[in-house]
Amino acid sequence: MLYALMGLGLSLIAGILNIPNFAHGALFAVGAYFLVSVVGALGNFWLGLLLAPIGVALLGLLIEYAGIRRLYAAGHDYQLLFTFGLALILGEVIILVWGPVGISHLPPAILRGGVDLGFTFYPKYRLFVMVMAGLLVLATWLFLEKTRYGAIMRAGIENKEMVSLLGIDIHWLFTVAFAVGAGLAGIAGALTAPIRGLSPQMGVDMLGIAFVVVALGGLGNLLGAIAAGLLIGIAQAVVAGYWTEASTVVIFAVMAAVLLVRPQGLFGIR
Amino acid sequence: MKKETWILVGAVIVLPLLVRPAIAAEIWIFAMFGLGLNLLLGYTGMLSFGQSTFFGSAAYVAGWLLKNYGINVFFALGIGVGVGALSAALVGYLCVQRSGLYFIMLTFALNQLFFFTAYQWTSVTGGEDGMPGIPRPALWGLDFSNPMLFYGFVSILFLISLWAMKRIVESPLGKILVAIRENEVRAEAVGYNVPRFKLAAFVIGGAFSGLAGVLYAMLFGIVPLEAIGFVTSGNVVFATLIGGSGSLYGPVIGSVVFIWLSESMSTVWARWPLLLGVAFVIVVLFFRGGVVEAWSRFWTWRSSRQRA
Repeated sequence: MLYALMGLGLSLIAGILNIPNFAHGALFAVGAYFLVSVVGALGNFWLGLLLAPIGVALLGLLIEYAGIRRLYAAGHDYQLLFTFGLALILGEVIILVWGPVGISHLPPAILRGGVDLGFTFYPKYRLFVMVMAGLLVLATWLFLEKTRYGAIMRAGIENKEMVSLLGIDIHWLFTVAFAVGAGLAGIAGALTAPIRGLSPQMGVDMLGIAFVVVALGGLGNLLGAIAAGLLIGIAQAVVAGYWTEASTVVIFAVMAAVLLVRPQGLFGIR
Repeated sequence: MKKETWILVGAVIVLPLLVRPAIAAEIWIFAMFGLGLNLLLGYTGMLSFGQSTFFGSAAYVAGWLLKNYGINVFFALGIGVGVGALSAALVGYLCVQRSGLYFIMLTFALNQLFFFTAYQWTSVTGGEDGMPGIPRPALWGLDFSNPMLFYGFVSILFLISLWAMKRIVESPLGKILVAIRENEVRAEAVGYNVPRFKLAAFVIGGAFSGLAGVLYAMLFGIVPLEAIGFVTSGNVVFATLIGGSGSLYGPVIGSVVFIWLSESMSTVWARWPLLLGVAFVIVVLFFRGGVVEAWSRFWTWRSSRQRA
C-alpha cells in the first residue's frame, strides 16, 4: 500500500509535468524526518502525521515554483539533473540536521503491540498503516475521479494544450500536481518511519521502488500505479518470508520479467 | 597530426604535473566512462540513467578475477569490456523499445537491480564495505604500483578509446545513430531497424563503461559499492552534460571539470555532495549549455563591458 502511495505521487508528477522526479525518494525521507521532529517538539503523533505531509507538500510547491517551472522546455536531461541535484541536497541536509546514524521511532502507545487475527498475530501499527494507506489511496482516487480539480488534473495528463485553451492556468495546475505528489511521498514517509526506522539512505531505496511501480503501472495511469504497488508489495512480502536477502532484488526482477512479456507495462497503453 | 590531437597529447602529458597522478588517472578513466554514455545520450538521444550498471559489474567481475586468480592485465581488461557489453546488452534489450520518461526510469530501475544484487551478495562483493584488495599486476616487467607508470598505461588506453570512439561516430553506424536522435520515425521509415541500432549503441557504450570500470578498480584497489550505485550514474550524466553532450570531446572536458571539482570539494568538507547538488541545480538553472557555453557567454559579457 505504501508503494502504491509512492507510485501514485510519482505517476501524477510524471504524467502531468512530464518530468522524471528523482527527488521523489528524498521527499519521502524528508516526510519521515519531519514526522520525528514534529512528534519530538509537540509530543503528538497524529499532529505529526498531519503536519509532516503538509510540510513536504509546501516544500514541493517551492521546488516547482522556484526551479522546475523554468525547466519544462529544457529536455529530460536537465530536468533529471535538477531533480537529482535536489535529491543530493535533501539527502545531505538530512544528514546535517538529523545526523548520519539511523533513528528508530516508536509508534504511539495506542498502536503498539499486536492483534490476534485468528490465523496469525499481526502488529497493530502495520495494520493501521495498511488501513491508512488504503484510505489515502482511495481518497486520492476519489479526488481525481469525482472532483472538478481531479478532472482538470486528468485532463492535464491527456492533453495539456487543450486544458490551457479552456482557460485553466496550466502553470498553477503543474504546481498543485507537484505539491500533491510530494505530499503523497511525504505521508508515505511519515507512515513508514515507525515501521522501518529512519536513515538518510531510505529515500534512495524507496525511489527505485517508486520507479518500478510507475514503470509497471503505466505512466500517468493512476489505477495502474495502485495495482502495481500492491503487486510489488505482495511479491516482496512473499519472498521475504523464505529468502530475506533477495526481497529487494525480487522487486526489480518482477519488473524485468513483466517487461519481457509486456514491454508497455501491466496497464500501459504507450 | 591535427590540432586536437596535439592538444590532447599535451593535456595527457601536462595533467599529472598539475594534479596527483591518481587523480589524473581518475580523470581519464571517467572520461572513458563518459565517452560510452555520450554515444547513447549525445549521439543516439537516449538518456541512460543506469550507466554505473555496466561500470560496476565490470569492476566487480574483473576485480574478483584479478584478486582471486591473479589474471593478466589484458585478460582483465578484456573481461571488463565483455562484462560491460553483456550487461549493457541485457539492460538495452529491455529498454530500447521505450522512450522518454519510461526509458530513463527503466535504466534507473535496472541499475537498482544490479545495485541491490551487489549490496546483498556480500560473500563476493563485500556489500557495503566494497571489495578490497584488487592488485595491479605488472605487465612486461612494468610495475604498475608506480602511480606514474599506471597513469601512463591509463592515458594510452584513454587515447586509444577516444580514437576508437571517433572512428565509431564517424562511421556509417554513427551517422545512423545521429539520424535516430534527430528523427526516429524517419530513420525507421528509411529502413533502419531502430531498436537494433539502439541496442548496438548500448553494447558499445557498455563496453567503454566496462573498460573504465576495470581501470577504476585497479586504480583504487577496491570496488566500492558506490561504483554500481545511482549516484555514479548521475555523475557521469552531469559530467557529460557540463562538457557538452553530442560532441566527441564533451565528456572529456566534462570529466576534467567534474573530477577536479569533486576532488577539491571532498577535501574541504565531508558533506561535499551537498555542494555537488547545489552545483547541479545552478548549472541547470543558469548555465544550461555547459562549460563551452558559459565560456562564450563570459567573453560576450567581457567584450560588452570593454565597449561600454
